[in-house]
Order: sequence, then C-alpha cells, then structure tokens
Amino acid sequence: MNQNLFTSFNVPVILGIPLVVLIILFPITLIMPSNKLINNRLSSLQQWLVQLTLKQMMMVHTNKGRTWSLMLLALISFIALNNLLGLTPYAFTPTTQLSMNLGMAIPLWAATVFMGLRFKTKASLAHFLPQGTPVPLIPMLIIIETISLFIQPMALAVRLTANITAGHLLMHLLGDTALTLMSIYMSSSTITIIIIILLITLELGVALIQAYVFTLLVSLYLHDNS
Amino acid sequence: MLSRVVLSATATAAPSLKNAAFLGPGVLQATRTFHTGQPHLAPVPPLPEYGGKVRHGLIPEEFFQYLYPKTGVTGPYVLGTGLILYALSKEIYVITGETITGLAVIGLYIFGIKKFGPSVAAFADKLNEQKLARLEEAKQASIKQIQDAVDMEKAQQALVQKRHYLFDVQRNNIALAMEVTYRERLHRVYKEVKNRLDYQISVQNMMRRKEQEHMINWVEKHVVQSISAQQEKETIAKCIADLKLLAKKAQAQPVM
Repeated sequence: MNQNLFTSFNVPVILGIPLVVLIILFPITLIMPSNKLINNRLSSLQQWLVQLTLKQMMMVHTNKGRTWSLMLLALISFIALNNLLGLTPYAFTPTTQLSMNLGMAIPLWAATVFMGLRFKTKASLAHFLPQGTPVPLIPMLIIIETISLFIQPMALAVRLTANITAGHLLMHLLGDTALTLMSIYMSSSTITIIIIILLITLELGVALIQAYVFTLLVSLYLHDNS
Repeated sequence: MLSRVVLSATATAAPSLKNAAFLGPGVLQATRTFHTGQPHLAPVPPLPEYGGKVRHGLIPEEFFQYLYPKTGVTGPYVLGTGLILYALSKEIYVITGETITGLAVIGLYIFGIKKFGPSVAAFADKLNEQKLARLEEAKQASIKQIQDAVDMEKAQQALVQKRHYLFDVQRNNIALAMEVTYRERLHRVYKEVKNRLDYQISVQNMMRRKEQEHMINWVEKHVVQSISAQQEKETIAKCIADLKLLAKKAQAQPVM
C-alpha cells in the first residue's frame, strides 16, 4: 500500500484522472444551508458556528473591510474542514500541497496590498516606517519592512503546509513504529499507541488553529489596508 | 389571454363575419385548456422528524430486517465478520502503520461522540428552542398589545355611556354660578340705591339742624338785644332781693 513515508502526500490520480478536484470539492457537501426556520441539529450547530466566527472575525473591520466577510468565512471553513477531514485514515489532505496554499495566500495578500495602495496610498506606504525610529536607521528599516512585506504570502503558505505536513508525517511514523514494535515489545507498542492518541488530539487542535491563524492574518492585512 | 387576443383580432379584421365557423384559430385555441391540473409542489409534503434508524451508527436497520427471515438475528454479524476475515487473510486489506493510526483515530472519534454527543445535541436543541421562544414571545407580546388596545377601547365606550353625569354636574355648576352672580348684582343695586337715599336723608337732616341752630342763634341774639339796660338793672335788683329772701328763709329753716 504505502511504499515509503511520503506516498500519502502524492496527489491521488486514478488512471490519469486527477481525483484531487473531487477531494477539494468534497468538504462543501458537508455544509448544508437551509431556508427553514428550525433545522436539524447539525444544521443548527453549523449556523451557530458560522454566526459566532463571523461576528468574532469581522468586528474589527470597517465597512469597507466587511465586504470581505464572505471570502474570509469561506476561507476559514475550507481550511478547517480540509484539515479535519485529512485526519481520517487513508485520507488525502489538499492543504499539505504547497501549490494549493500558495494559490490561496498570494492572491489574498496581493489583494489587500493593492487595495491599500489604491485607496489609502499614504497610509499604506507609511506602514513601512514604524513610529519613533531614530533618523540614521531609516533607510535600513525601510528595506527590512519591504522584505517583511514580501515575505508575508510565503510565510502564510509555508506555515500552513509545514504544520499540516509535519503532523501527518509524525502520525505515519508513529503508526509504523507501533506496528513494528508489536511483534517485538508489546508494552512499548501500547505506549506508542497512547502517544498516537495524544498526537491526534494535538492534530485536531492544530488543524483548527492553523485555519484560524491563516484567516486571522489575512484579516489583519486587510485591516491595515482598508 | 392569447386566445382572447386572437378572437378580438379576428373580430376586428372581419367584422361582418361573426360566424363561429370562420373563427378557426380562435376556436382551436379557446378549446385547448390550460392550467387545469393540480400543482405538484404545493402543499409541500411534510418531512420526517427523525432520520432513519441505524445500528452501530453506520448500518441501517432495514439491512438487519432484510436478512432476518433467512439468517435470524446473528446473520448480519456473521456476514460482517466473514467479510473482514476474508479481506485480511487474502491481503485485500493490508495491515500497515496506517491501520494502527486509523484505529486510534476512529477509537478517539467514537470515544468523543459517546462522551460529548448528548451534551452537544442538547445544546443544538436549546438553540432551536431559543429561536422558537423568541418568536413566540414576539407573537405573545403582539397579541397582548392588541388585547390591551381592545380592552381600552371597550372601557372608553363604557365611559361614553356615563358621560351624562358629567354634563349634569356641569349644568348644575353653571346654574349655581349664575344664581350667585344674579344675587350679587341684586345686592349691589340695593346698596347703590340705599346709598343715594341715605345721602338725601343726611342732606335733609343737616339742613334741619342748620335751620335749628340758625333759629336758636337768631332768637338768642334778639332776646339779648331786646334786654335793655333798664330791664337788666331791674332784673338784677329783683334777683338780689329774691336771693336775700331765700337766704333768710334758708337761715330760718335749719334753725327750726
């Protein structure tokens, strides 16, 4: 099944047909909007979660920034669901692929930068120089701030990729270890299984937190530039 | 509507030919009937309140009922065990490290659902209930408001029936006030007239007193004038003589 450790990160293709499209489209089928007043429990919980997240996220923005609500809400739902679904056994997680994360991070970051440059040119350029810097340091600081600006999309994408990939890798490694140890030392195999359980708990947290962090940072960039 | 348009067009085009046989297209369209069937989407059929029953959270109950006549209660379980053992022994399903991880994940999920399932379900039910309660409260508040308005209207109508008391009291008040004013005015008139008459009386009294005084003064003056010196001497001498006589009499009396 799995020849080496990294086969689970190969993009799934059956007879040349990329399944990854279906995999990316799958999480949306789990969200059920309905136009009834009283829904079943799952829909009620989803609605309540959406309301909570939206309120929490968009409170800090101005009216112009709030036009991004749908985008940010879709972003956090997408990343969170993809990460959580990737924890099931034999599942492929799209967010482990750097290509997808870059595809999410660069357009969003670029949109915030261009919005800031277009509507509030002076204020967005003023972000390059923090207040209260001594005069001799100004040229160096501007270069550093520019580099920091251009690193933002890379950081967003690579952060998400690295976290999720690292978690999945660790789980595979520990699973293999537990299997191999089962025929040698049963007790250490049990300990390894306990470690796996703890790790899965951590992974659940990481999945949600990464989604949150991604969206929060995009929201922060938006707030700076709106 | 189209059939009506066609009919009217044919009528205007050939007004003399009001014969029904010539109105071919209009008749054809008038005889074709539309919208006589029942609409399919309304009323919306009611949705079931609970989902289908499942056993072990995965397998529908209907599967067990389907196998029950042939294999009894243990049939599906034997089938499941056989399938799993077949897959394992023929290495259709290979046990790798992923199996251990998968078992751990699924075990954790089942543990989580068993432990937190009821409380989450109760929370979701509470959300729905809160929504319904809010709407119900709005409805009750609206009903109460309207009821209060109706009650106030009825009270106002009842008050209208008792309005004549108010009018009677007002009428009485006004009559009393008018009576008081009339009496006051009457009294004022009486006082004024009495004032005038008193004036006349006092004038008369004063005139009489003045006349009396004048007469007395005149009489006195003339009497004093009329007393001549001779009469005065004679009167005084007589008075002295009378006084001497009286003195003698007075002297004589206490002795006695």
